Amino acid sequence: MIELNELTDAAQKAFPADQLSPARDASWQLVAEMGWLMIRTPEDDGGLGLGREASAAIHFEMGRVLSRVPLIPAQLGLQAVIASTDFAERAAWIERLSAGEYAPLHMLSTKLTTGSDGAVSGTISGVFDADLAVAVVAKLPDAYALVPLDAAGVSIVERPVWDTSRRLFDLVLDGYKPDPANTLAQGDAAVKALHDALSPEAHIALAADCLGGAVAALDLTVEYTKMRKQFDRPIAMFQALKHRAADLKTRIVAAEALLWNRARDEEATVTQLGALKTLAAEVYQFVTEEAIQFHGGIGLTDEHPCHLFMKRAMLNLQLCGSPDLWKERSGREALASFA
Amino acid sequence: MASDTHLEGLRAEVRNWLAANAPKDWRSARTHQDFFKSQRAWFLKLVEGGYAIPHWPAEWPGGGRSLAEQKVIYEELAAADAPRLLLSFVSTFHAFSTLEECGTEEQKKRYMPRILEGETWCQGFSEPNAGSDLAALKCKAERVSRPDGDVYVINGQKVWSTMAQYADKCLLLVRTNSDGVKQAGITYLLMDMKAPGVSVRPIHQIQHDEEFAEIFLDNVEIPVTERVGEEGAGWAVAQATLASERGLTLMELSYRLRGSLYRVAKLIRDHGHENDQGILRDFGALVAQVDSICAIADQFLDNRIKGIERVGDASNVKNSYSRALRAYSLLGVRLGGIDEQYIAPITFGDLNTGNWMADFMNSYAWTIAGGSEEVQRNIIAERMLEMPREPKGWVL
Repeated sequence: MIELNELTDAAQKAFPADQLSPARDASWQLVAEMGWLMIRTPEDDGGLGLGREASAAIHFEMGRVLSRVPLIPAQLGLQAVIASTDFAERAAWIERLSAGEYAPLHMLSTKLTTGSDGAVSGTISGVFDADLAVAVVAKLPDAYALVPLDAAGVSIVERPVWDTSRRLFDLVLDGYKPDPANTLAQGDAAVKALHDALSPEAHIALAADCLGGAVAALDLTVEYTKMRKQFDRPIAMFQALKHRAADLKTRIVAAEALLWNRARDEEATVTQLGALKTLAAEVYQFVTEEAIQFHGGIGLTDEHPCHLFMKRAMLNLQLCGSPDLWKERSGREALASFA
Repeated sequence: MASDTHLEGLRAEVRNWLAANAPKDWRSARTHQDFFKSQRAWFLKLVEGGYAIPHWPAEWPGGGRSLAEQKVIYEELAAADAPRLLLSFVSTFHAFSTLEECGTEEQKKRYMPRILEGETWCQGFSEPNAGSDLAALKCKAERVSRPDGDVYVINGQKVWSTMAQYADKCLLLVRTNSDGVKQAGITYLLMDMKAPGVSVRPIHQIQHDEEFAEIFLDNVEIPVTERVGEEGAGWAVAQATLASERGLTLMELSYRLRGSLYRVAKLIRDHGHENDQGILRDFGALVAQVDSICAIADQFLDNRIKGIERVGDASNVKNSYSRALRAYSLLGVRLGGIDEQYIAPITFGDLNTGNWMADFMNSYAWTIAGGSEEVQRNIIAERMLEMPREPKGWVL
């Protein structure tokens, strides 16, 4: 059994804190070599068979360095294949994806229609780094399926986002005829089951990404206040800033405690995990919003990395359901539990 | 380290005991006197059951429990909705650890058994001009010879002493020297609250409670044998006092807050807000916030058990809890609407008094008492984030 801190140490060695957003393709090679693509793949399927906590530890480190590697959608795509026990090509795809081929789960919604001939047209949003992908694990009407990027009627359109550490694409289908051999889950019940199996992984991974980023943004900010002098002293000496920095720290550590608690808790509901992701993403937003304010003018320039964290935080807030959605669900679930 | 099966066995044992023995009617205490009586009875019951002093050494009945075992006991107390031990808190934690770590054998022999018999203690630390800056305390002690042994003659005032009006003894910090570093002139004494010259005045709080009191000291004589540690070593002794309950209280309170969320749910239903998206969102966010403070309190205790606590950790736990408590009470005030603006009798000794306005006002105890939120922020900023201290020696 690999210890959590060994995993963290290895990640920090491979991705040092002083190199933010290292080049994507080289990072992808490194991530594949480290075995992180298959961190949640069961040992029977040739993976590392590690738990959610281990996966969270890696995503925490990826968040800390604003990684450009689309590790979260890659892991989720692989997990969709692993969960699809009726999928004839399952073993072959697990092997391909574990070795570094890329078939991400899309992270945003779809707008699709099915023609009378069964051909599907429309848009599948939130495909990370589609230029790297061989296929996309997509929610089609009534099914989850692998959509090969070289199939007829399939194209990709990049949708530039403010977050420079991510590249998002729309997968555009125009009369695409799904090959039944690529189906992972068919019918409402199977689709829901797969969705429910992937959601917890997605929320924990995103929450970890948020808190790794929040920790790095606070470190960066506190270091800056110690170095920046005004009125003949480091601005870190001013209590007006100390107290705000302390509040950021308090919010981060409480959210982090919940992250590790939930990552260990197999009983946590999808809603509780959505609420965790929301809490973590809102902490990330607050920390990075304050980070820019603490930095003053330099925080508004492209030269300083402050804004990169803020932009990633803002995008994370919108992935896997908005804060409003999860807060409402969390409220409803808690209300029902006190019936 | 205790095994999981052992801990689960203890959990079942405590749960069964609480089912048979935990008072159910304690929330009906409508006067402070009633509350005081019910607290004393409950403490003695817990002593009898062997759960009152799990943190004491094994030579005491019910003592010798590991931190992991203590955690189980507090979790079960919270889950059973048993009253918190407010009255005996200072005696079993602060007085105990002060005596245990710094007291003489004679002091231990004299006072420890009395604590188990229900003798209650209060703390005489803060003063009107020594709050966050505790070391600035001025309560004066002069050593005077008497035929049957030297005494300290005390003059001054203490404030914010929890339940001093019911206390038998007081942990008192006094100034024996005004020269040099202010911490170095502080001495720690054990004072009899019935000694001539001691008067206590309860403080009428904004929520109509009288949890705190002022203590006035007018030529009070305390035998030198009642000193803990050397003269001038009081500051170090006080650190032992304050470190004694680290983590356990906040873990218990966090779980009690988690267990109180049903009250907000009830308000939502009573006012027909079951489908109000805005209110559901705010409730949902509160639930996640409360879950996070339970998680951080748990983590803190686990780190203490493993011996990897860091400076500032306790401050993060306290500030997280106090803000969650404030948010909880404010949501109650908001959902209760105008009803909460009518004064209603309150119950004592709980984070739920039965009146949300009173609960909201009570929540300040956690942002102000026990090291204010601002002092905790300084600790986090200066000792955890290592932001530099302000230069000293600034004169008004």
